[in-house]
Amino acid sequence: MDYQKLFDSDISKKAAQAWRAQGKKALGLICCHVPEEIFYAADVLPVRMRATNCVDSSEAETWMSSFSCSFAKAILQYWLDGTYELDGLVASDGCMMASRIYDNAKYINAKGDNSQFIMQIGAPRLNNPRTIPFYRAELTDLIEGLEKLTGNKITDEKLKAAVAKQNEARALVRQINELRKAENPVISGTDMLKLTLSSTNMPVDEYIELLKAFLADAKNRAPITDKRARIMVIGSALDNPEYLQVIEDKGGLIVADALCFGERGFGDPLIVDDKDVLGSIAKYYLDRLVCPRMMDKHIQMHDYVIKTVREFKADGIVYQRMQNCECWGGENILLEQRLKDEGIPLITVEREEHMANVGQLAIRAEAFIEMIEKEV
Amino acid sequence: MADIKDLEGLVLKGEMTITEFACTKIDASLERMKERNPDMLWTMEIQKFMWDGFRDAHKNGKKLVFYGGSVPTELIAAFDCVGFYLDTIPFRLSTNPSLTAKYIDEAEKYVGASMCGLDKVELGAWLSGAYGMQPDLFIYNSVPCDSSRVAYPAMEKIIGVPTFSFDMPFRRDERGAEYLADQMEDLVTFMEEHTGHKLDWDKLKYYMENANRNFDLQRQCADLRKNKPCPLPGRLLVLNGTTNAVACYPIMGDLYQSELEAGQMMVDLGMGVCEDEKYRIAMLQNMIWGNAGIMDWMQKEYNAVAVMDAFGFQGDIMYEHMDDRRDCFKTMGRKMQNNPMIHGASGPSENHIKLVEHIFEQYSPNVSMFLGHVGCKHTWASAKMVTDMVQEKFGMPTLYVDLDAIDGRYKSGDEIKAQIAEYFETVVMR
Repeated sequence: MDYQKLFDSDISKKAAQAWRAQGKKALGLICCHVPEEIFYAADVLPVRMRATNCVDSSEAETWMSSFSCSFAKAILQYWLDGTYELDGLVASDGCMMASRIYDNAKYINAKGDNSQFIMQIGAPRLNNPRTIPFYRAELTDLIEGLEKLTGNKITDEKLKAAVAKQNEARALVRQINELRKAENPVISGTDMLKLTLSSTNMPVDEYIELLKAFLADAKNRAPITDKRARIMVIGSALDNPEYLQVIEDKGGLIVADALCFGERGFGDPLIVDDKDVLGSIAKYYLDRLVCPRMMDKHIQMHDYVIKTVREFKADGIVYQRMQNCECWGGENILLEQRLKDEGIPLITVEREEHMANVGQLAIRAEAFIEMIEKEV
Repeated sequence: MADIKDLEGLVLKGEMTITEFACTKIDASLERMKERNPDMLWTMEIQKFMWDGFRDAHKNGKKLVFYGGSVPTELIAAFDCVGFYLDTIPFRLSTNPSLTAKYIDEAEKYVGASMCGLDKVELGAWLSGAYGMQPDLFIYNSVPCDSSRVAYPAMEKIIGVPTFSFDMPFRRDERGAEYLADQMEDLVTFMEEHTGHKLDWDKLKYYMENANRNFDLQRQCADLRKNKPCPLPGRLLVLNGTTNAVACYPIMGDLYQSELEAGQMMVDLGMGVCEDEKYRIAMLQNMIWGNAGIMDWMQKEYNAVAVMDAFGFQGDIMYEHMDDRRDCFKTMGRKMQNNPMIHGASGPSENHIKLVEHIFEQYSPNVSMFLGHVGCKHTWASAKMVTDMVQEKFGMPTLYVDLDAIDGRYKSGDEIKAQIAEYFETVVMR
């Protein structure tokens, strides 16, 4: 089976068009704190919105100003210019920028024909016995909204089936990610990001089949042997594989990441408690280590980064932070010293959604790779 | 008395703490006011109360509670603790740009330059060991913005004292109020554990009554601003933004009482703060902390007075059933969601739009301005919706000025004035 579609990370509306052609709904998701399982249980195609390849977000900037993060602006731009063809969007208050995409989209929709389904759910920033029931109630609202939109009843059984399907995708992505531990992996960091990004371009069933095909063929792929240093990438939402390509072109091999569009966006399996299926989903999504938006998970996130560096034998970390992405803007307060203590080299780079500073990144990446590469 | 530049120098060299600097500066201002402007002493006395209270908390046998974002100050006071609002530091230092610059630079060793200047100053000053205070407890909330959501948890780890954190829901409804009331119960448990005292409801009631009095007076002061000419200066609106820190203390009410009396006297005399009021400005965002003198300048130069702003005004959420614990805690939650900077900035844009609409309907402005702090990215991301509404419903364009409320290096007071002057001369006065 040809699995090349996994490496086409350009945004495609084909899947949504095909889904909608069957009389079903397709909705955009903003932030990974909106559980896809609930959409599949309603027979709605969830399309996690991103901004890959957006080079001009000037229309969105008139709404969100130049002080907003360029990733958020670019998503609104794609929403406005028809890059996506969807029946609406659901956001979480993952960060204030995600909320403002929602606010602006809702306002623009109301000014227009008001035909879109626009909804926001609250995702707590703490994970404790108070916050999980609150989040569960927000997810109940989402269920009610989707039931009303589609006329489909969302049952526990449907939720469990959707969870099982997502878990299958999670397990396969994890298996592929494990391949990166090899001394000479068969997948680059750029391709791995393309592979995870492509999940937003197709229904999960198709994605699973492609992942299986890739895994079946993995042993036939040529190991990567020409790289000088193994790198982990952490930081803001990164949906431009081209960005990683710049680093890999300079001799780095990205073997691990902590990116919400990367492997972290899939994460561990979701364990369902039959007594409270929705509660299990709520707990899972607040438990994950994906984004520093969770105020009580910074240290756990740092532990995870250090553990991953060790497991994947990374020689150093590239910490990329988007201008005006405050969630990922402050990790160095605590992480920098911890990494020093652990002897893990770190480089911090600022970026924008569009590839505005490629030359500077290339120079800095090359210098960093020279610094951390091991003498053979 | 040392010159202010000398004092700044001492702080820059680490030979004077921010607390000592603030207390010394406030004492000097009070002395000057006694000589030159004794009628306005009440505007400064509240600052003396605050800063002396912070400095002397331990000396007076009280625990010092640092807090960030909006938290229930009534509860902190009811446990006989002194609450120190972290934003008080950047607010206090905003007129001393060399100091804010020092702490911003210190913070930027670790955080992105786009982080809000308030958080950078709070963080940088702590990392520099400049506070001159050591807290016993730390309480913070997940508001107002993503900057504070990063800065406060980091400070929790750095400061290393017992900490309680709130999760503020985006929704402003019954579910949100119930959620906060639950967390209020958790805070009571936390405070009981760390202060060794049980919650004294009568004490809490005392502070809730104070809060009611204060906000009722604040509303009355706001109502006075509906008069033409406007009897109160725009500068006092900036002061409203600071009321978080002392909102439940009698001295806050005393300040508003003085403001009310001064304003009422002006109304009775048929006078306004402008000799010949021509323009009434609605401030959609109002963060000119380091340059509050611009309010005076607009009054003098253009007969233009800021009549109301959508930043500091807190509305009129009151405690109604003082013996109903659940009801009080829900009200506390609602008040937290309605605090300055929280209500319009970190909630749904709809709320900001409604608040601005209310201002236009009630205060008869004929000029609209958005003086936006660059750190308030989420407010900027609502700005077009808000100003489109102003244009469509009230037929008024809005002047946008980007500024940094804290970092004087971003844009000087003269630059801000030049932008405002150009707007008056090319748009408003034509």
